[in-house]
Amino acid sequence: MIAQEVWQYVLAGVVAGAIYALIAAGFVLIYQVTGLINFAQGEFAMLGAMTAASLASGGMPVLAAAGIAVVVVAAAGGLCYLLAIRPARAASGVTLIFITLGLDVALRGLGLFVWGTNPLSLNAFSGGSAVSVFGGVLPPQALWVLLTDVLVFGALYVFFRHTYAGTAVRAAVANPPIASTFGIPLRTFAFWSFVAAAAIGGLGGVVIAPITSATYDMGLSLGLAGFVAAVLGGLDSLPGALLGGFVLGIVEKVAGGLTSTGWEEGVGFLILVLVLVLRPQGLLGRAVRRA
Amino acid sequence: MSAVVAGAAALAVRNVTVRFGGVVAVDEVTFDARGGEVLGVMGPNGAGKTTLFNVISGVQKPTAGEVLLGETRLTGRDVDAVAALGVTRTFQTPVMFWGLSVRESVEVALAALDAGGTYPPAAPRELIPCGLGVRESRRHDAALRERAGALLEQAGIAAMADRPTESLAFGEERLLELARALAVAPAVLLLDEPLSGLNPDEIEAVLASIRSARANGVAVLLVEHAVGELLAVADRVVVLDHGRKIAEGAPQAVAADPLVVDAYIGDELE
Repeated sequence: MIAQEVWQYVLAGVVAGAIYALIAAGFVLIYQVTGLINFAQGEFAMLGAMTAASLASGGMPVLAAAGIAVVVVAAAGGLCYLLAIRPARAASGVTLIFITLGLDVALRGLGLFVWGTNPLSLNAFSGGSAVSVFGGVLPPQALWVLLTDVLVFGALYVFFRHTYAGTAVRAAVANPPIASTFGIPLRTFAFWSFVAAAAIGGLGGVVIAPITSATYDMGLSLGLAGFVAAVLGGLDSLPGALLGGFVLGIVEKVAGGLTSTGWEEGVGFLILVLVLVLRPQGLLGRAVRRA
Repeated sequence: MSAVVAGAAALAVRNVTVRFGGVVAVDEVTFDARGGEVLGVMGPNGAGKTTLFNVISGVQKPTAGEVLLGETRLTGRDVDAVAALGVTRTFQTPVMFWGLSVRESVEVALAALDAGGTYPPAAPRELIPCGLGVRESRRHDAALRERAGALLEQAGIAAMADRPTESLAFGEERLLELARALAVAPAVLLLDEPLSGLNPDEIEAVLASIRSARANGVAVLLVEHAVGELLAVADRVVVLDHGRKIAEGAPQAVAADPLVVDAYIGDELE
């Protein structure tokens, strides 16, 4: 019986972890290209969820609302870079990280201003009954969440491994000054890293909204979970973001389920502390970046 | 990119002086390098050879003097601009793009060149994933892969094309760095000790690449401690000692020059 219960927590953890992995991917993309930790990352998920929910409540089909929401969030990510990061790009890393913290507060405030404190709901992308997995159950929307992970990480893999543009980003990340002499300057990718990270985060918010509903302050906990997942997996590794997201999601839900849901975030932070002490480079990150 | 006519002065170094505080690393050095020739740059340790390369490639601003590429002044431009004009270099310790495979390292240089040297490239077509793209892009990709294959073949590293660069031995890194430098079709190629640490097969491969670059009209500047190999491959030689140019001319004449022999006594001239 207890095994059955734990299995159900694991399934819940897989769904949460899939979202954490998307947020973590945004952290990794921006960190690799700009060296920044973008603490506004979770707000992109909030913006996606809220935009999609309010569009859908106006009568738009859910998938169309989801698509538009992702585009809106991608544009917002680009604007964040152009208005807040780029003008200060000569500043030190710590200053820029504080700017992203400011962005986080500002975006959450914007969410509060536009949508208020009431949660918005979004219909699941498709109907149907709960799916049974070895005795546990998943809501149909969970399949959309997992499909999103497959598509996003698949697209990232194809981009970085099978396009020249993606290879150029990897070369620029590996050795900025030398790549630059080949006409591949790292700084030209900074804008696109924010656009992509925002789009991916926004997509995460959109697909999770039917399960958790959307609130103006959902970005805070999602952002922190995504950050923990990224550090856990290794801040310079996209496969690490995927692994870190799932590990964090499963550990959180199992621990929270067996004790009390109030402990879920506490477990996340415990993992963060353990990783930073025992394996600061993360599960799949590189210990020392050779350059 | 190599709009330089063979035999014309591709690179002109004019009265270049570099002082570090009270130390004069390069002292009033003047010489030309022509397209389609290998110019050996010799000198004992500390003669100023690497500093001179740093000046030419834009890493080091000279205290006085200037460097011209054809009619274009290189001095005062930053490293990227000098590279974009067609001056490419390799380093004493090869510099790799960790995380890329051998093939990718060369392909990315070719792709950047084809895209006009800027990413995101001017034409969105270049962003279309290879293999998934439209026909035109696929034809471009196939041609690019073929060029990369030819460069790896010529460098003697075709067999390790799919290995990650992290797994390469020192000599293999050197060969890859040279292939990558040649990929951007430079007008001027600066090679800083390309033979050091190589086995005889690798030395042959580097020398073959240098000769082939020369045949393609590239002005090759070669700093090398292996004097025998340098004299054999160079068309002309410039000798530096304590930052000054003490000799310039045909390899055999320079090797017989008493000033040069003096500079090398107790050093490495065999």
